[in-house]
Amino acid sequence: MAKIEPGMEAMLDMYFFETNSLLEQLDEILLRTEQANAFESDDIKEIFRIMHTIKGSSAMMGFDNLSVLAHKAEDMFFVIRENPDVITDVSFVYDLVFQVSDSYKAQIEAIQNNIGGEYEQMDFDELTDKLIKARDKLNSEASGEAAPAADAAPAASSGSAPAPAGGSDKVSVRVFFEDGCQMENLRAFLLINTIREECSFLEFFPEDVETNAESSKEIVEHGFLITFSANDDRDYILKQIETALNVQSYEVVSGNDAAPAAAAAAPKAEIPPEPVQELKTEKPAPAPKAPAKAQPTNQPTDQSIEKAQAAVAVANANAAAQQAGGNAQKQSLISVNLAKLDALHDIVGEIITTESMVISNPDLEGLELESFNKAARDLRKLTSELQDTVMSIRMVPLAGVFQKMNRIVRDMRKKLNKDVEFVMEGEDTEVDKSIVDSLQDPIMHLVRNCMDHGIEDDVNDRIYAGKPEKGTLTLSAQNASGEVIITISDDGVGIDPDKIMAKAKRMNLLTKPESEYTEKEIQNMILLPGFSTNEQVTEFSGRGVGMDVVKANVEKCNGTIIVDSKKGVGTNFIIKIPLTLAIIDGMEITVGGLVFTVPISTIRESFKVEPDQILRDTGGNEMIMIRGVCYPILRMHEKFGIETEVTDLMDGILLLVETDNKSICIFADRLIGEQQVVVKPFPKYLSRYDIKSEGLSGCTIMGDGSISLIIDTNTLIG
Amino acid sequence: MTNDVIKEAVAKQQSGDRKLAADNSILGKVMTFNIGEQVYGIEIQYVTEIIGMQHITKVPHVPNYIKGIINVRSKVVPIVDIRTRFGKPEIPYTSRTCIITLNFNDIAVGIIVDSVADVEDIHTGDISATPENKNVNTNDFIQYMIRGEGDNTKLILDVAKLLDEQED
Repeated sequence: MAKIEPGMEAMLDMYFFETNSLLEQLDEILLRTEQANAFESDDIKEIFRIMHTIKGSSAMMGFDNLSVLAHKAEDMFFVIRENPDVITDVSFVYDLVFQVSDSYKAQIEAIQNNIGGEYEQMDFDELTDKLIKARDKLNSEASGEAAPAADAAPAASSGSAPAPAGGSDKVSVRVFFEDGCQMENLRAFLLINTIREECSFLEFFPEDVETNAESSKEIVEHGFLITFSANDDRDYILKQIETALNVQSYEVVSGNDAAPAAAAAAPKAEIPPEPVQELKTEKPAPAPKAPAKAQPTNQPTDQSIEKAQAAVAVANANAAAQQAGGNAQKQSLISVNLAKLDALHDIVGEIITTESMVISNPDLEGLELESFNKAARDLRKLTSELQDTVMSIRMVPLAGVFQKMNRIVRDMRKKLNKDVEFVMEGEDTEVDKSIVDSLQDPIMHLVRNCMDHGIEDDVNDRIYAGKPEKGTLTLSAQNASGEVIITISDDGVGIDPDKIMAKAKRMNLLTKPESEYTEKEIQNMILLPGFSTNEQVTEFSGRGVGMDVVKANVEKCNGTIIVDSKKGVGTNFIIKIPLTLAIIDGMEITVGGLVFTVPISTIRESFKVEPDQILRDTGGNEMIMIRGVCYPILRMHEKFGIETEVTDLMDGILLLVETDNKSICIFADRLIGEQQVVVKPFPKYLSRYDIKSEGLSGCTIMGDGSISLIIDTNTLIG
Repeated sequence: MTNDVIKEAVAKQQSGDRKLAADNSILGKVMTFNIGEQVYGIEIQYVTEIIGMQHITKVPHVPNYIKGIINVRSKVVPIVDIRTRFGKPEIPYTSRTCIITLNFNDIAVGIIVDSVADVEDIHTGDISATPENKNVNTNDFIQYMIRGEGDNTKLILDVAKLLDEQED
């Protein structure tokens, strides 16, 4: 068990966000390259960069196990980067990296779930061992192909290889970081990484900066010694060192053009003039206690000691300017706390309500207000633009979720040994962020189900049925009139209604005689709690807790799910979700003194009733016959116990509403009209009462400031 | 005010020590209001605002003392009629009838009272504990009492219980 370091909590959110998005990026690259069956050099660089960033930030946050893991993965990719042809067994590398990515996610989730408390520190030894072995294996294969750089560079970070001595174009630089900038060792390490690309030879001391936090003390006292030889431009590297973050100053202690002078400089500066490799062998000892003296500004100008105490202000200004310039170019995205967006969203909702309060204020009635009306029109236009913009801010593409499914399909394809092609369509469809979050689990479940139960276990079955050997799993999303329709379909065995029926009978799930069930109804029975036809519980599915949870999750975001399957042909799961939760188009109706809002999306029609349309069953329940179909009538005033003068069905109005393929006619006094309303939940104080299960989903404030209750057609019918 | 503070105040009054007994420091402020002849009070830190009576939207399937919900500057606030809550007969609302909105642990509730009276200080010397006898109907919601001149005793409501109470 371990605890998060105090003082780091504030940065945790950022860390989680960053690391998770990096991991997603990693998965995406891996999946793409795996499909192409080859690593592009750009991809390898990108993976390398991701691992590197994760390593750095994990170390900074004190998650050592994560940092080490990333380090080992990075090592492995280092070899691959240097020798792109080395990978003989591609799938083996992929599996390993996926494992790393999964371990990461698991650990981060564990930490995330226990912020402030203790979290379990996972043991990655086995995995790191594997990575080390993989690296060595690749390395040995690489050296067989004679790639000299492969050795040197990983060695530099792990510090095991002897540095080649000599080399006349080497430059030694002593770098000092700003006072109190903390974690000097990691900063030093980052510095090394920025210049590594440009150097044909690179050495530094203390050499264990990456893994040993103690080394930062050494750096604070004596500076960080880097010896390098540039690929082409030495000054460019010096410039990079100078402008690196938190670097206060640096001095060149020996250079190619001043090699003899180095000795002369040494006594003055009290820095051992020995070549760097000697420093290495003697470890911490030779660095004398006099860095301060080595630094004074009034030193005689010596060619070998180019005092580069660039004023901090200048260096910082430089860095800042660079950063600002860089940001303007590439940073077109910012991450924002969702709570802030919610607050913004609420305010916009209130502005819209207040606006209609002002514009349709009763005080204005009967007045001729030409310029007021013009201004009001402008205001309305602007507020609706504002609303659209705010809504669009919260919209995120489904691509993230889809990518994850890609990954799941990949894993299951291997585990189940089924050849399946995964097709994604419309992954750039955008939906509200909160919906995306709650949709991930249901979609994942359905994808797993399709892979596990949908696609045939035996390829011969497919061939026999006249289908292509390779199965197809399609995940598609599309926008359709205020709704997002997500379809998960496979071309597998389909659902056998007889099996479902038999099982439902066995489990006593039938609510009406068997013969009355339509095929559609039978298929949708698999969404009932506790229903799972798969006899065998597998790793992926079959415990029967899946489908009803899927249904509940979808319904939580006001969506619906339909199963559409044909035995032997395949199965479609169709999920319909409203684009956003917070604002709906509603139809206002009155019952007694109360105003209700019925979501327009559920209304099929509204009509006045003729006496001969009304039927009564033996229990006295009223029903209505419309175009040959019989619907029950629900009197709102009875349902909600409201006193009203309109009790005769002929006086009021009927609304035919439909959800989930179930329909009912609700009886209200009259229609007021259509309005866009901002959904507000009921106050907390009322949450202990049974309002929600009685057909009301929330309330909304109308233009005149009064409150209307929003009908939840789903629970009203059910 | 916590129950410990009340106990301490009561203990001070009853202690033999004159100096302690004479302690009459101010512990806080209450807002007082009338229901019928009785004066009640609510500690001021729970009070958000006082608003006039307005149209209340009824909500189905709630106990009869919850009159419904109102819109207070775009916030939806449920309204409890204290009279009904305490089992007193309902009277028609008048121009003096007020809604006091309270906030306790982020639960906002408005209560309907006959009229608002005053805001006054709570002195240590005036605090009385409620009798142990729990047979009285409204006793549950009274945290302590403040003695005034004559028989003008104010009953201070326990907001936590009033808002947080679990329905059986």
